[in-house]
Amino acid sequence: MNLAYIPKKSKVDNLSLPEKSMINVKGLVKDFGKNRVIDGIDATVSAGEVVVLIGASGSGKSTFLRCLNGLETLTAGEILIDSVPLESKSSSLKLIRRQVGMVFQQFNLFPHLTVLENVIEAPVHVLNQKKDIAVKAARELLTKVGLLDKQNCYPGTLSGGQGQRVAIARALAMHPKIMLFDEPTSALDPELVGEVLTVMKQLAEDGMTMVVVTHEMGFAREVADRVIFIDEGRIVEEGSPIQIFSNPQEKRTQAFLGRLSH
Amino acid sequence: MNLDFSIIPKYLPFLLQGAGLTIELAVLGIAFGILLGLVAALMKISHTPLRYIAHFYIWLIRGTPLLVQLFLIYFGLPQLGITLSAFASSVIGLGINSGAYLAEVFRGGIEAIPEGQTEASLSLGMGKFLTMRRIIFPQALRISIPSLGNQFIITLKDSSLCSVITMSDLLQTSQRFASRTFASLEFYTAAAVLYLLMTTVISALLRSLEWRLSRESRTRGN
Repeated sequence: MNLAYIPKKSKVDNLSLPEKSMINVKGLVKDFGKNRVIDGIDATVSAGEVVVLIGASGSGKSTFLRCLNGLETLTAGEILIDSVPLESKSSSLKLIRRQVGMVFQQFNLFPHLTVLENVIEAPVHVLNQKKDIAVKAARELLTKVGLLDKQNCYPGTLSGGQGQRVAIARALAMHPKIMLFDEPTSALDPELVGEVLTVMKQLAEDGMTMVVVTHEMGFAREVADRVIFIDEGRIVEEGSPIQIFSNPQEKRTQAFLGRLSH
Repeated sequence: MNLDFSIIPKYLPFLLQGAGLTIELAVLGIAFGILLGLVAALMKISHTPLRYIAHFYIWLIRGTPLLVQLFLIYFGLPQLGITLSAFASSVIGLGINSGAYLAEVFRGGIEAIPEGQTEASLSLGMGKFLTMRRIIFPQALRISIPSLGNQFIITLKDSSLCSVITMSDLLQTSQRFASRTFASLEFYTAAAVLYLLMTTVISALLRSLEWRLSRESRTRGN
């Protein structure tokens, strides 16, 4: 698959747009039993912004991401998605989740459905789209991720990279305003990472608001508008990729990035 | 030794009629059992007090003999003013009985589906019910098919107990002719062979179903 490289829209364009906050997190705390995993996080993500969360495993970055679409209940704090508060009530949660797509480390494709059926499942059964309309849209998305020829395959027959691209298409089929990526390439063989990152890059260039947990520092450097370093459930440092990677201010950030480079 | 199987062909149409009733009881019984088992499994995995009802049901039914259950339904319930036909009693008895075992089969199947499937479904905006119906249950059913088939065979054989509450199934028909002609060995052998034939056909059908389903999810569409 070869998606032509389109240069990322310039920062000047970004600044000229009115800053609309898509995600607004205030005082987020999350406990698992007696264990405090997120210890007071405040963060804002603007429309069209690509934010990459980095940190050691167990730092709370994945839990933070899972809080953003209500997969984890909040111990304290508040999350606004496009100005609407995320509540634990299932009816309002369902509405929010339609607007927040999520891509998982393990893809979590539905193995009993074909690739095409995976992509149309939610549009047909949640949005009540007519099947032929959903199929047409799904084929466009599969074309975009370069997998139209696999539409009638079952997920078990796909490679990891193909599976993850289908998972991205499946999430996009709901026309989300925000896409969350939870270590989307961590379960992939090294030679398959690139094809998934290319799709994500394309998505960022299309202006999608994205929050990405990843260990792919190359991707963060190239695509992120902002990098957030999380440690022990707190934001230690955030800034542009250049600031974080070339000139980290905090000792813990320096130590983390230092560990990565050897 | 006087063993004469030539007596059987004359009575075979009656035996087959009895076998027909046996199949009818087993199919209706397992269908009712699937329904009950599904409800009980969902109750059992729910984090509500409903799960205690499911626990009680499974404990009660698995801990008592089917024959006692059939007697209670057919002979006992009329005392409470509930009179059921022998046929209805049989289907209900077989259903309640197989349902208790199937509840555990379905629960196991549902719990075998990785949590990630539920999370993916929920994050697409699907509700809990839709997730269960469209994503979890179809996969759980596939896992459960071998055990479900096993239970169907058990229920088919167990249906012979319904002969005791006056059902003219395969066993009772054989019994009737055996006592009339004194050819016990011949008739009960014929009954055994017909039971064996039915369970063998069911096993073969299940194997082909399993094979078809697994082939579908592994290789179709390339």
